[in-house]
Amino acid sequence: MQFKPPLSGVAATLARQYGETLARLPATVHAFVLVELAKWPLLFTPEQRYQRALLDHLSRTPPHELERAVAAIARIEAESGVVRLGERDPARFQDASQALLRTRGLFASWRGEVDAFFQTIDPRLEAQLYPADAPRRLVVQIYGSGIAVQRDRLWKPFTGMGVRVPLNLESAGTTEEFLRQLAGEVEAGRGAPALFSQTIDSPFDGWIVESDDALHAVCGAATPAALTGLSYDRLRPYRDDLTRALYRKVQDGVDSPQAFAAYARSLRIAPPAGTLLNPADILLAFVRDVLITGNGTLLVNNTFVEWAAIQALRRAQPRILITRFGVRDRLKPFSSMVLFSQPRPTDHVPIAQDPAGSFIDVEQLSYYIWLNAEKNPAYRTRTLYLFLAEGVDEMLAIRSDAPAAAPASRRATPARLVDVRATMARWLSAPTPQGAGQPIEEIVG
Amino acid sequence: MANSAMMLRRREALRVLAACMADWWLPRQLFAQRSSARPSDRRVIVVTFGGGVRYEDTLAREGWVNIPHLASDLVPQGLVYPVARHEGLTGHFNSTGALITGSRQNIDAYGSEPPVTPTIFEMFRKERALPPEEAWLIATNKSFGLMGGSRLRSFGDPYSANVVLPKQLLISTIKAAVSTNAGPGVEDRRALAERMMVALDEGYEGFGWRVYESSHVLSADVKASLAKSLLAYFNDPSSPTSGDELTFFMAKEIMNRFAPSLLVVNFWDIDIAHYGAYSLYLEAIRRTDRLVHELWQHVQASPQYRDRTTLLVVPEMGRDSDVAGNGFANHRSGDESCRRVWLVAVGAGVPKGTGTERPIRTLDVAPTVAELLGFKMVECEGTPLAELT
Repeated sequence: MQFKPPLSGVAATLARQYGETLARLPATVHAFVLVELAKWPLLFTPEQRYQRALLDHLSRTPPHELERAVAAIARIEAESGVVRLGERDPARFQDASQALLRTRGLFASWRGEVDAFFQTIDPRLEAQLYPADAPRRLVVQIYGSGIAVQRDRLWKPFTGMGVRVPLNLESAGTTEEFLRQLAGEVEAGRGAPALFSQTIDSPFDGWIVESDDALHAVCGAATPAALTGLSYDRLRPYRDDLTRALYRKVQDGVDSPQAFAAYARSLRIAPPAGTLLNPADILLAFVRDVLITGNGTLLVNNTFVEWAAIQALRRAQPRILITRFGVRDRLKPFSSMVLFSQPRPTDHVPIAQDPAGSFIDVEQLSYYIWLNAEKNPAYRTRTLYLFLAEGVDEMLAIRSDAPAAAPASRRATPARLVDVRATMARWLSAPTPQGAGQPIEEIVG
Repeated sequence: MANSAMMLRRREALRVLAACMADWWLPRQLFAQRSSARPSDRRVIVVTFGGGVRYEDTLAREGWVNIPHLASDLVPQGLVYPVARHEGLTGHFNSTGALITGSRQNIDAYGSEPPVTPTIFEMFRKERALPPEEAWLIATNKSFGLMGGSRLRSFGDPYSANVVLPKQLLISTIKAAVSTNAGPGVEDRRALAERMMVALDEGYEGFGWRVYESSHVLSADVKASLAKSLLAYFNDPSSPTSGDELTFFMAKEIMNRFAPSLLVVNFWDIDIAHYGAYSLYLEAIRRTDRLVHELWQHVQASPQYRDRTTLLVVPEMGRDSDVAGNGFANHRSGDESCRRVWLVAVGAGVPKGTGTERPIRTLDVAPTVAELLGFKMVECEGTPLAELT
């Protein structure tokens, strides 16, 4: 299949360099690669590295082996008539071919064969992209104050995993105190606490994702951007603008969610200045996709946190990710169960919070973040997961290289949050200033 | 490996049933307590415990807390199939289409096409030469407008079910009410109308897609009468808080007015899981459980239904397992969690207080309904459930 992809820069160079290899692929796989290359400026570095590694691997595969590996896909393409499609634009070809495969009832088998093809390739690419000596990573999940934590059920999805460490919260009574002790002060002129500035090379290597603004206030007060931050509350004006635009479209009539999604992607709405700690174009596209493609992310703060975190783990693969969940608003009868509706004077029912429901939600959502991280070779076996809840004098720590439950902590005294910070620094091989806390041996010993 | 997993699942199902429902899980003769309702008297109500619900959140041991009425009230009165499976596409329209046709459907997921094989409504009405009032579908999911009849030339509209989408009916009623510009309180009514039209235009997993209307429509007077009742209900101080409550109300209205022999009730609130809030999903399961129980109580209170009605309660599909994608929030992985469901039958012809571990398929529902109502289900992949027929 001869495609005419709208590529430029690095992507065009890669397409030319590997043109011969791409031409050997079944049309649907060929189009997929070109569609990914077309997104090049909006791909995070790990995504770009994957595309390069994929092309390199395919080019080094002997032609007869490649032909054998994709034979099943090619057969389905022939059977479905995909090979006879005349479309030369890769994206439009992708849409047309998938529609045809669905019409012919071959989509599921095609999808299965494509998955099987990549399942043979990905382990080899992973070994190359994520060597055993790759740097360690850190994922911290915090339940914000106000969530009605049930101590006897706390972190129940992780039963039988990790170590629970008692905490001394004497001087961490407020959210700000709690977060400041945990993350540390923003270093003068460096735009982020030392935990970030000493361990990451790029703002995309350190992410904070939260429902409100507390982490941003502590971690990202300074400029220039030293880390990447997403706040559901900070995004409110953007969410409102997006909501209004989408709702107008809904009122005009939409044939399908797919058609609607295409419309949504065409919108040119941007968050107001200052909304994002790191206002790079790639982040603007990322946020838009999170809000459009994640069911409920426009409406539910914690769903936004979870979905944004999962997408960040999958795509940007930050070395440090800190999430902070909040209290979800209670849904009003009928009216607030509606996508894209706006609160109006006629909505007499006041907004109320749901602390108990929020706890049930975040238990599940924090588990899903962990699950998705552990599926990712960037995090598997090299990540320390910490789970904290503001106001709760206990912490759960899971090392992905030793996830099984450890004996209960035998500490003589509960750990302080500065000790937790020192533990995170030790894990990431960052220096710990004198007197700034002691690493928790049960975790990093 | 797969076999041993299945054996474990079966054993678990039996253990679960035996341990906690011991008062009904007894080695009773399966058919010993059948009622004697004749097919011609028989009425069948199929309720989709709908929107996609996971076995582990409902009929599995850890899920019982979410279905107290089913577990404690209905199951002991009826028969449970803990091992049921949905085969086919795991979208709402196709999975419900499979349920009411007995055949897998592969059509537009958002309801722009009718099923490709005959529905139980059409087969029932055509074979028995019955009027439209005998077969109804009441659906919360607004994409179900074309669910009442197939695209087949020899079936379709002349034999389709009456399809009522209560929320859409309410919207059109409100629109009509405010369009007159007459009488006091017009401004309030407009405000209400605006709010309600937005509020009712919900779609948990998508964005307000189009409502497709069948050319088989309710007669104007019936529609007006139902709409009036619906509006009155909606104005009640104890106003409904969800689409399923409107559907429940409408189902009762239809039963009271027309006493149809075949009624399919589609609940859908559970699909709020797409919002990613697990507590709201569980809340919707509990609401559905309550509404199913109240529906059964309504059957018992109605002389036209009591002792002659078989109620089948079945999720049209499951939802993703935790390890697949985003867990409970979606139903797109096609994994076993997406397919594993259950079925509870209660009422006329159903042996009381028993269960069978025999694996069944949701495709078996349609031919079972056919046998119960005394008609034949042709071109159907499913087979009647022998324990019920």
